[in-house]
Amino acid sequence: MSCIRFEQVDKTFGGAVKALDGVDLTVADREFVAIVGASGCGKTTCLRLAAGFEAPTGGHVTVGGKAVTAPGPDRAVVFQQFALFPWKTVAQNIAFGLRNKGMPASERDARVAAAIGMIGLSAYADAYPHQLSGGMQQRVAIARAYVLEPEVLLMDEPFGALDAQTRVVMQEELVRLARKNPRTVLFITHGVEEAVYLADRVAVMTRRPGRIKEIVDVKVIREAERWEDHARIEDVMDLESFVHLRTHIWKSLREEKGGVGH
Amino acid sequence: MRLSRRTYVGATTLLVLALLWYLATSGLGLVSAGRFPAPGDVEAAAVQAFGRGYPDATLVTHILHSLKLVAIGFAVSVALGVPLGLLMGWNRVAEALINPVFLVLRPIPPLAWIPLAILWLGLGDEAKVMVIFLAAFPPAVISTHAGVRAVPPPVVEAAQMLGTPRLRFVLEVLAPAAAPMIFTGLRLSLQASWTTLVAAELVGSLAGLGYVLNVAQQDLYPGMILVGMAAVGVLGAGSTALLGLAERRAVVWAQGATE
Repeated sequence: MSCIRFEQVDKTFGGAVKALDGVDLTVADREFVAIVGASGCGKTTCLRLAAGFEAPTGGHVTVGGKAVTAPGPDRAVVFQQFALFPWKTVAQNIAFGLRNKGMPASERDARVAAAIGMIGLSAYADAYPHQLSGGMQQRVAIARAYVLEPEVLLMDEPFGALDAQTRVVMQEELVRLARKNPRTVLFITHGVEEAVYLADRVAVMTRRPGRIKEIVDVKVIREAERWEDHARIEDVMDLESFVHLRTHIWKSLREEKGGVGH
Repeated sequence: MRLSRRTYVGATTLLVLALLWYLATSGLGLVSAGRFPAPGDVEAAAVQAFGRGYPDATLVTHILHSLKLVAIGFAVSVALGVPLGLLMGWNRVAEALINPVFLVLRPIPPLAWIPLAILWLGLGDEAKVMVIFLAAFPPAVISTHAGVRAVPPPVVEAAQMLGTPRLRFVLEVLAPAAAPMIFTGLRLSLQASWTTLVAAELVGSLAGLGYVLNVAQQDLYPGMILVGMAAVGVLGAGSTALLGLAERRAVVWAQGATE
């Protein structure tokens, strides 16, 4: 059991800037929840609280029933800017967390090789990050998180820095991984389509100070309408049920923006 | 290896300078040999320095003596300065304790320490090593400190979330992340070591390149002064090149990095 729970969470930066105001949100065990919101609404702050990079000003953040006090390998993070170690090869980057756990080398090597195979980079095991494209680097970052077999996976706009084509491939890949090997996932994005495509539930955040405005259950509709019969993301996005959910969330977000822009 | 256009241009410039030197001295006699030596004078001085020796030992002996002082001063600076810089970059308390000391001591030129060094340690090598250390230590500390402070926060956070133990964090995350800046500091340290060496050896020495320069000046021997200067230049450039080689090996991962 490892659910993520935010209870009446406030976060104020520097005593002045209120980023979060009474956030209530629960991500159930092995559930995939996406938070969508405008830039600067505090959605990344939610993830950083769950990761233990920040402490709440008020309220409680718990993971698996325990208060979060510090970062740790039970809550693996995939960063928007990848945050790989440039001086380590692909294999060394992925192996690093396992070394910290004190895993014997033979077992570690097998796990790392399997993880590199999973992301399709076996030919690049000894390459340095700067020799890889952005999409490949993000795959390494995802493998570095997955290989720890963490209870909880925290993803902060992981595909935000990628070009559109690469992003689609990565989204399909993540869906495949998440369905095959479900984890408790908190996924931060400003992309509504991405959130609806990936998540079991989508939480809509208000403008700063951030609050959870609405939670949309995607999973019920996804399973009822059998989205999994469509392998490609663009086919899913054409479905009436998908369009309906997307439009609903769009409108919810747009009210927040006072009808200006998109 | 194919020589580039730049190499040819550079070599040509040096050749022209050498020719002008010859013309101005031996060739046309525009500059008197007492003020600036002709190429022949320098050659004769070099032959004397390497052969019979000047004033009482061969140039190789002097070079080895100077090299030893620089090597010790530089090595101690690096061995103490880099760890201290890492500590200051990572630990706020250490930074708060140590930084004020640096702020007070830094504006004092290393050479201003020479009288105190002599008072404490006498005219021997120890005082000279101390002065070289005082010159080479601050750049090593300051650059390492700055390098650690410039490590991108996501890299630090990635290490934290991967459960990295403290020592491994310093050795495998902070140090490599700061490595390019650390090497910049080491280059500055090395340059400071050579600069200070000559000045330190000008006072109360019985061996070394600074001593050669000092005696040659008293002997009114411009050819030998140039030999001494050239020796310092060659050693400085050579050791900097060695350091560059070490840097390329150490930060092989950054080669061709675009970001």
